[in-house]
Amino acid sequence: MAPKIINSLDELYQIIPISKYPNISFHHHLRNGDYVMNMVLDHYIKHKVKRLHLYPSSIFPVHTKLLKLLHNGQVESITTNYMNGPVAQYLSQHPIHGGIRMQTHGGRARNILDGTSHIDIAYIAAPFVDMLGNATGYLGKSKFGSIGYAIPDSEQADITVLITDDLTKNEIANPEILGKNVDYIVLVDQIGDPNGIVSGTTNITTHPIHVKIARDTVKLMNELGLISQGFTFQSGAGGTSLRVTKELGEIMRQRQIHASFFSGGITEHHVALLEEGLVEYLYDVQCFDKVAIQSIARNQKHIPISANLYANPVNKQRIIKDLDVVILGATEIDLNFNVNVTTDSHGKIIGGSGGHSDTASEAKVSIIVAPLLRGRLPLIKQNVTTITTLGKNIDALVTERGIAINPSRTDLLTKLKHSKLPLKPIDELLNIAHKMTGIPKPIPRQDTVIGVIEDRTQTIIDTLKLVVN
Amino acid sequence: MSRSYLFVPGNNPAMLQQMDVFEADAIIIDLEDSVLDYDKDAALDLVHNFLAQLRPQHLEVFIRINAVDHPQFTQDIKRVNEWKIDGIVLPKATLYSLQLAASKTTKPIIPILETPMGILDAREMATLPRVLGFLLGGEDLTKELHIARSKEGKEILYARQHIIMVASAYQKRSIDTPFVSTKDFEGLQEEASFAKAIGFSGKAVIHPNHVPIINRIFLPSEEELQEARRILKKAKEVGSGAFSLDGKMVDKPIIEKARSIIKQYEIYTRK
Repeated sequence: MAPKIINSLDELYQIIPISKYPNISFHHHLRNGDYVMNMVLDHYIKHKVKRLHLYPSSIFPVHTKLLKLLHNGQVESITTNYMNGPVAQYLSQHPIHGGIRMQTHGGRARNILDGTSHIDIAYIAAPFVDMLGNATGYLGKSKFGSIGYAIPDSEQADITVLITDDLTKNEIANPEILGKNVDYIVLVDQIGDPNGIVSGTTNITTHPIHVKIARDTVKLMNELGLISQGFTFQSGAGGTSLRVTKELGEIMRQRQIHASFFSGGITEHHVALLEEGLVEYLYDVQCFDKVAIQSIARNQKHIPISANLYANPVNKQRIIKDLDVVILGATEIDLNFNVNVTTDSHGKIIGGSGGHSDTASEAKVSIIVAPLLRGRLPLIKQNVTTITTLGKNIDALVTERGIAINPSRTDLLTKLKHSKLPLKPIDELLNIAHKMTGIPKPIPRQDTVIGVIEDRTQTIIDTLKLVVN
Repeated sequence: MSRSYLFVPGNNPAMLQQMDVFEADAIIIDLEDSVLDYDKDAALDLVHNFLAQLRPQHLEVFIRINAVDHPQFTQDIKRVNEWKIDGIVLPKATLYSLQLAASKTTKPIIPILETPMGILDAREMATLPRVLGFLLGGEDLTKELHIARSKEGKEILYARQHIIMVASAYQKRSIDTPFVSTKDFEGLQEEASFAKAIGFSGKAVIHPNHVPIINRIFLPSEEELQEARRILKKAKEVGSGAFSLDGKMVDKPIIEKARSIIKQYEIYTRK
């Protein structure tokens, strides 16, 4: 049956009782340009709905209505993959009754699909929707590219609501979201500002330290034999990761090496390599800039994928199981190679795993790229403040002052036995940092647990602690 | 001997702390142009503390002090004399200013030749044993000559070749002027290749991202290495000071040059 098309959220809540469905989800493809979460939550504020369980795939500074809900005490729990901005700061300092659950992108898809995370209503910002409820993310006036993170929600929620500002009468060919999974289409003036999807970190860095790290990373990949015909690769959208992609592209060009696929969040730099014929396919779960959005709409080898196909650990077809190498960042890393990208060193929430832990777990080689010092703070700690990704899944750390290989990867160490790369044990890198900064005093932390870090295996690997000003 | 001489501002703690990670062979910590007058005292203290605690061991460290006619000169040279460094880089050098500076320090000196008088005085300067080499200051030189500085650099060709001749004759280092366009890597490559081809022993650098290109260009090429190895092998076999190789005469200077190429390669690739 075709979904019901309605003209406003007010009208929607005349049909479905808003208070009856407290488990609600959102996606984050519009990132800091998203209008939908705020416009929906505004109704929950007006209707004074309590004991909400929120499942946004990520939370950004733009999501101020969520802050209002928190102030009102209407939120019971939040399950998400990433958060930064005022909401993250507030939650770090104000516990909510049901706590915070930080998941990975693959873990979120798994939990929604197997019912561990039960979604009553999935509110999906959809830039291009037809009358049958088919939808895609890379067309329409507010197009943002792949809509991959919302697909598990659309398949499993009790009620799926597409919120769109562009409804077409023509049936969409190859939709990402299938109309059979959609119950309501709500028309609004604007679902968001696509300019807000640009993360601000998608420029290739020219900072000399980051450039050096990127060059050494590519040298490391080369010496490990990872740059070979048909290899597969993923990098984040941070400046250093993108620089790695650029330096890698130059080697591929020189040696005429062609990659099978690049995956994950896609930028113009990935697209350039696809269009040059150096990469066969881009598997795109999220577009980070307008060039990527344009590419995914026109290039059949630039393929949108769902979070399920991307990284769900129990999906046998998951793309990342075939990854040769992934390049990732770190806020902190410890002597056991555990990585923190969730909190700062005081424990305040500033991010989250996203696909960090998923890809690190699956790629044949996972490489952390980060400066040894940020200002006066060493990257390496005895123990990270919060574990986002377990050290057993991290294989190498590249800093400006040396490269540390996880001692458990004896195969990599054997390959690098005669290398001239600046290889050092991670504790030696820590000592180098301490020589320059001194040994930082431990930061006292509260015992009150405000949330958990859930690995993609559904195991709790760490907790979030209350931060007091 | 170094290939790349990276300028690092003496008042920038982050740059000082990071200066040894860019793989430059030598660092020139700058107390002159990159430090404003009100910051010069603080820069002296910063560099003093940095060198006392964190001086890198595997690269040469020079200090560019202020010129002899600058009010800061006396204080600079007094402080620099206390530091463990490889030498002083003296801006706006002439024979007079070099002699004045040399009378106040026992450190080796690299004069920057960036005035017409400096270029003309180079030969006499080279007779001072503590002069380690010469650094061409192309930007200031063209300013003094009231001419435009071009990318091709025809206007400083004479100065370049004069410095190379003097340095070579007196066995000093010859360091080419830095390439100032920080993002023009093709231009950098062309200029550095030209500098090496006409005989400079190294090149000054103002951006860390330039260092790998300069190091690569000033590293003896595979062809140069093979040729040098053939010459030394034949010299050993023949056992005399002169012989013919591929129909060309090889004698002592060519054998010495071959040794020098092998030695340079070993030094640079050991780092």
